[in-house]
Amino acid sequence: MSFLAPAALGLVALAIPLIVLYMLRSRRQRLEVPSVLMWSGEEEFVSAALPWQRLRITAALLLQLLAIVGFAVLLGRPFFRETTLLGPHTVLVIDSSGSMATAGRLTAALAEARQLAADASAAQLVSVVEARAHPRVLAAFAREPEPVLAALDAIVPGGTTEDLAGALRLARGLATPDRPTTLLILSDGGIAGTIEEPVAAARHVIFDDRGDNVAVTAFGTGVPGEGATRLFLEVANFSVGPQTVTASLLVDGLEVGSVDFDLAAGERSQEIVTVDAGPGQAVAAVLSDHEDANPLDDSSTLVLSAGTDLTVTVTGEGSPFLNALVESVPGMRPAAGAPPDVLIVDGGDATIVDRPAWILAPQTPPPGITVTGRLEEPIITYQRPGEPILDGLDLSQLAIAEADIVDAPGWLPLVRAGEVPLVLMGEVSGHRAIYFTFDIVRSNLPVQVTFPILGARVLDWLGGNRVAATSTAPAGTPIGLAPPAGGSSTVTLPDGTTVSLGTEATTFTATAAPGIYSVQYLDDSGEPAGAALAARQFIATESAGGARQISTTLDESLTTEESSLLREWAPWILGVLLLIILLEWWVAFGRPRLRLRRPAPGAAS
Amino acid sequence: MLLDPQLRARLERLALTNRTRLRGVWGGRHRSTRLGESLDFADYREYNPGDDYRRIDYNLWARLGVVLIRLFEAEDEMPLQVVVDTSRSMDFGEKFRTAQRLAAMVTYLALISGERVRLATVPEPGSTSLVGPWARHITSWPKLETWLENLHPAGGTDLVAASQIVATTSSRGPIVLVSDLLQTGWQQAIDLFGAARGGVVLHVLSPAELDPDLTGDLTLRDIETKREVPVSMSGDAVDRYRSRVQDFTAEASRRCRRVGLDYVLATADTAVLERTLRQLVAGGVAR
Repeated sequence: MSFLAPAALGLVALAIPLIVLYMLRSRRQRLEVPSVLMWSGEEEFVSAALPWQRLRITAALLLQLLAIVGFAVLLGRPFFRETTLLGPHTVLVIDSSGSMATAGRLTAALAEARQLAADASAAQLVSVVEARAHPRVLAAFAREPEPVLAALDAIVPGGTTEDLAGALRLARGLATPDRPTTLLILSDGGIAGTIEEPVAAARHVIFDDRGDNVAVTAFGTGVPGEGATRLFLEVANFSVGPQTVTASLLVDGLEVGSVDFDLAAGERSQEIVTVDAGPGQAVAAVLSDHEDANPLDDSSTLVLSAGTDLTVTVTGEGSPFLNALVESVPGMRPAAGAPPDVLIVDGGDATIVDRPAWILAPQTPPPGITVTGRLEEPIITYQRPGEPILDGLDLSQLAIAEADIVDAPGWLPLVRAGEVPLVLMGEVSGHRAIYFTFDIVRSNLPVQVTFPILGARVLDWLGGNRVAATSTAPAGTPIGLAPPAGGSSTVTLPDGTTVSLGTEATTFTATAAPGIYSVQYLDDSGEPAGAALAARQFIATESAGGARQISTTLDESLTTEESSLLREWAPWILGVLLLIILLEWWVAFGRPRLRLRRPAPGAAS
Repeated sequence: MLLDPQLRARLERLALTNRTRLRGVWGGRHRSTRLGESLDFADYREYNPGDDYRRIDYNLWARLGVVLIRLFEAEDEMPLQVVVDTSRSMDFGEKFRTAQRLAAMVTYLALISGERVRLATVPEPGSTSLVGPWARHITSWPKLETWLENLHPAGGTDLVAASQIVATTSSRGPIVLVSDLLQTGWQQAIDLFGAARGGVVLHVLSPAELDPDLTGDLTLRDIETKREVPVSMSGDAVDRYRSRVQDFTAEASRRCRRVGLDYVLATADTAVLERTLRQLVAGGVAR
């Protein structure tokens, strides 16, 4: 035990006058009583000749000596060192992605962060970075716990995926040159491969609580129908056991139908349902009467919109699946000889592409892509998280006979088999392009239930999102605003709160929560000038609730003192002292006199 | 005034009773240990010359041929002696005033009952007689009340001597002892009182004696004997004192019952007279 003020231990010397007081004969108060007969046996030996008496070791004396020692030790301020996660400057990187909503992970992470903020001394700086789809700094270089706690209060679980790499870049940007900076990652680990590991000068506090979870992993349109809207619904069971759930379908809040799912552990089930809903209406799929570890992914919403027609031409070898796709997707139609809006290059030559194009395993790749080899039976290992085109689509069952190995600098891999990209996103001659390195005819993609969705989304993206049957996007995607000139916007969030935006606002970014966002436009006089609905969906990859330990390395320049917390024993010693004083009082006066006063004998009637 | 009018009015509806035969000088209304002239038949005995022939039972004589005379119970007065402890130990709080009022209550009750009553104090050591007036009629009450009011607790007293005097006096009536019994030898005194006369012990103690509220280191000084006792008033010490006082009163009660005395613990508070009277009635001393 070490002391902050060891000089105070000298107060133990107060024990000497106490002992002297005990040895001095006390001057007793004289009290007259009718008789001392009843006090016989209580006499104390008192020497009349000497001012001193033999020291008698009594319980009271021992307790008083103990109290003096306790006070001296208390004033000496004993302390011990406790290893802490905090350093001279700690950046708390808090993961608020959808998976952190599983089994209260984010709640536990925030509690841990609050405890750390409370433990931080005035010499320790604390910053807070929220790792979500769009990482942000919530507090920087705070010396007091209040701003840190206020920043932590602003973090709520959302339906987005985390951008740990972006969050770590932000955290590195907060590094202070004059003191070591430690990154403390409070996360369930995110998705492997999204950050470079080991993360230097960092610690990872993992939150990996699990629980049974059933999620709506896909909910969208894009399947043709006549007169009614047909919806694609996928429900997945991430529990360890089988689950039976009912997905209710709601149109503008009114239930119009339901679908029952019996799901084995780890099973996904897809259904195509038809609802009587049209443009401008909000449709929701809700797992009714169901509670699980992650409530955010138990529903999914979308808003139907009309969109505009998009013309598509299929060139090259041409697959009947692709022609059927173009004819079946609402809002799309074959160009019929006219210049198309979007080109599908199925095999053939892709060197000359003068418009947005979906290029599938061309014989001649477009400029910027070089075929370096072929890979047989590639197995999909990566789907880019948060990518709208792939949102909710599970390509793990996709079987491919062979794919080109391409070198495509500047292209973004959306799907990979190991390090070999299978689907890429990029530009050809300044036009949007999606590149498949495999022939869909030599895969089972056309017979997958996800194919129409994937195809519709690819074409929709290539066409500039003009055809979208829904104004739905993953949570975290900003909502574009188009207020009238000089007007303003008001956005009502899924939880019912309303946010008023100024005339300059053209986007609304606080869309981490999945659900319906209602936008109300106001003109310059404050009168309503139109409205719009937008839906944001929980990113399905977060529903699995996977957790992993992020590999980190500590900053070796940290000294023991910098990585430990100084804690004083004062509260415990104070408690012991109070106990001693209570014991002393009890010894001196017997039991506590809280009892009712006993009636005198003979006083009873 | 020792007795308020309400209490006196209540006492006037009661009378002292005696559970045993007694021997008085004058006739009265209590059964005597001797035979006499009352109407209550007691026994037969053979006729002796000189007996009153009016008592011969002629029926028995005719039936048995034996001359027997009828004997009758005698009825005597109850010569009551009320002995008040005036030692210094009674000079504490309301103890002595309570003792005066208790003695006054019993005396008034005896006078109302038509008994001969004597007020006396416990004598000082060395005395050979009790000092105090006798009275027989309620008209003597003012005189006795004044005598009682003029008593003051002072000096020491000798309970044993008082009991011995009572045991040897010619008057054979019961004794009412009003005392705190805080003297050595109180047990012997009670034994002698009971053997001699029977009666009642009114044990007067103050609430502060029964349940003291003392703390700290004290030197207790006996106001009667001047003896000093240094005591540390811990909670345990006070508890042990209370236990001893309880044992003391329990022992006094037990010893009184054993020798035929009634025992009433009279705590010196405002309701002591009412409470004591109720206990006397319940004990059959008055009705």
